Amino acid sequence: MRKLAVLAIKEALVAFRDRGALLTMLATPLALTLVMMAAFGGGGNSSPLSEIPVLLLNRDTGTFGQVLTDIFFSSSVGNLVMPTLIENEAEAAARARVDADEVAALVIIPEDFSARIFPFGARAQALTGVDVTTLAPNATLTPEQQMGFAQAFMESQMLGEETGEPSRADPVIVQIYASPDWRISTLIVKAIVSQGLERLNIQIAGTTNIVARLAAGMLQAGQTDVDVAAAMGAMSAGNTGQGTAGDANVNLPIKLVTTSTTGRGFSWLGYYASSMAVLFLMFAVTSGGRTLLAERQRGTLPRLLISPTPALTILLGKMGGIVLTGVLQMLILWGATTLIGAYWGHPGGVLLTIVLLVICASSVGALISAWARTPGQASAIGSAVTLIGGALSGSFFVRWNLPQWVQNLSLVTPNAWGIEILSRLQAGRALTAILPWLGGMVLLTVLYYTLALVGFRRQFK
Amino acid sequence: METTALVEVQNLYKRYTPNGLYAVADVSFEIHAGELFSLLGPNGAGKTTAISVISTLLEPTSGVVRVAGQDVQRDPMAVRNVIGVAPQELALYDDLTAHENLRFWGEMRGLHGAELAREIDEKLGLIELADRAKERVSTFSGGMKRRLNLAVGLLGRPKLLMLDEPTVAIDPQSRRYILDWVKKLREQGVTILYTTHYMEEAQELSDRIGIIDRGKLIALGTLDELIQLVGQHETLRLQLIQEEGGAELAAALQSLAGVVAASATDGEVLINVTSAEATLAAVIGTATGLGLSVRTIDIREPNLEAVFLRLTGRALRD
Repeated sequence: MRKLAVLAIKEALVAFRDRGALLTMLATPLALTLVMMAAFGGGGNSSPLSEIPVLLLNRDTGTFGQVLTDIFFSSSVGNLVMPTLIENEAEAAARARVDADEVAALVIIPEDFSARIFPFGARAQALTGVDVTTLAPNATLTPEQQMGFAQAFMESQMLGEETGEPSRADPVIVQIYASPDWRISTLIVKAIVSQGLERLNIQIAGTTNIVARLAAGMLQAGQTDVDVAAAMGAMSAGNTGQGTAGDANVNLPIKLVTTSTTGRGFSWLGYYASSMAVLFLMFAVTSGGRTLLAERQRGTLPRLLISPTPALTILLGKMGGIVLTGVLQMLILWGATTLIGAYWGHPGGVLLTIVLLVICASSVGALISAWARTPGQASAIGSAVTLIGGALSGSFFVRWNLPQWVQNLSLVTPNAWGIEILSRLQAGRALTAILPWLGGMVLLTVLYYTLALVGFRRQFK
Repeated sequence: METTALVEVQNLYKRYTPNGLYAVADVSFEIHAGELFSLLGPNGAGKTTAISVISTLLEPTSGVVRVAGQDVQRDPMAVRNVIGVAPQELALYDDLTAHENLRFWGEMRGLHGAELAREIDEKLGLIELADRAKERVSTFSGGMKRRLNLAVGLLGRPKLLMLDEPTVAIDPQSRRYILDWVKKLREQGVTILYTTHYMEEAQELSDRIGIIDRGKLIALGTLDELIQLVGQHETLRLQLIQEEGGAELAAALQSLAGVVAASATDGEVLINVTSAEATLAAVIGTATGLGLSVRTIDIREPNLEAVFLRLTGRALRD
């Protein structure tokens, strides 16, 4: 163990005394990551998105829930989403499908949606049998209907005060249960729901205006229809003062809640910070691995091999130094990008991930060094592996927009595991949620180091 | 001098590919404790291959090699614990200081603490680099690096020190320094395996010499024993005015009476003769007959060069 530590420290010391290597390992990645974050961090992604699978559960007994679900099937949405209406009893299965990343999101419209966002309409229908949302501006009301509307107005005003029903101050919640792995798609679903809420807002405002005009004649003397409309409009809107997610222009008492196990939204800044860091880490470790062959040419490796030090210790010690350097590089990038606003996730989880990721990445460096013949060959292979691995795993394009087979294939690279795990941490997932991924990465590390050791022994037999 | 065999090499064969040529073929020798044994041979003769097998870097294709009674194949770690090697390459870290290099290599030999500190100070004094201990090796001259390379080989007081061509590519002053240093080590009783292609070094330093050529050990013994192989033969060295024609002259001289062997290289012709006085006129006559003019003639006493020429028909530098 002592020799392993001495080897690792020597390796790091030699690396940090080489200004060129320092520039490659630390300064360049930092500068390029910051530039790329500045270039792409605030922007979007132009990759085409279509047929996002969405499940819709409409429990509403009124008409507005239907209006909201219809928006998903409207021509304005086109083929952007692939909505499926599900029944009440299928909710558990639907949530499971979201958890399994089979669909992007499940939109749940609650049972009392229509009644809560437009209580007057529900009362009026109950008292008069008239669906006020279908009333024409020139409709003629019977005196009984006019009385019923007035009573409905009074009762809806008292809603939540005396009836014990939910107060209008409590917004009705439309839930989007989203998969953390469909971040962009979730944003789109959320935008569509917000668009539907806008339509509802307009529709309810219009309906209120019509009903107010129709009922104006039998209300208090001296009030104009405008006053009544304003009063009823205010009643309908609720003026709850509640902020809603992504629907700042909607005045309805609706709260749009996106829930997932993550609890955080997608951050371009965070994504690019970590994915670029992983890419440059790969450059650093494959370049570091090349030094094994350089040492062989220089004669220091043969000298090490004839010292009373096991070959495995030499390989691990050598890679240990590269790991030290890689960890430092990642820590610097983590710190620097955090300072400018990138969020990487829970510090403990990020730290553990960085250490395991760098060890995993170093196994690729070891593998290349053990099987390449010359430093030049190792350098060429290392660059190719890094760039191809980066492209496949999401360093250049958002990982979740890549075809599924590419995402699966890329799991042969540490880049993919690193991006997957760091993205989950960025999304706020707990350490326990990323443990299976960390386990997978450790297995990949063991596999690559085993193959590297075989190659290493073969080369120096 | 003790006669215990510290190194035993028996019928050693080594080739790098299954159907390739043998780099070392049927080589056998022993090195006794306290002895300075030289392997003398031209470049590519198999010296470094032999030293690599003895130092456990390479596995033999066949044969037995033991160091301090330990088989290099069965227990390489035990062998590594008792050997020190100064390889032909300057196996040092240029970005570390001399002190850091010694510390690192000492740790790799299993030294640490006060023992390591003492060894480092001792070695820095021995190679006269104590005042530059904190300077990076990249700032050192070739000779200084070579001295440090040797000092690393001595860390841990190995029972056997292997020096592979330690005077290659250095200036005459540094070369002299190293030769004197090796002599000192020998006087201190350090067992040394020394490889070189410089005849003079082998003659000056060695207790015994093994001459190796094309992978085979062609002669083995003390300097006197080897010289006796050529008897009282002398060596004529002719320098020709013409750059071409040496090989033709050497071939012609082979059939001349009194000529044991002849070889041409770099405008020189080396001729192993039973008597310089008796054959000189005939040698010059042969050269003139071929249209060649002799610039200088040098007559040498029997030496390892003559031995090599006698045994291989070629000069050591070929």
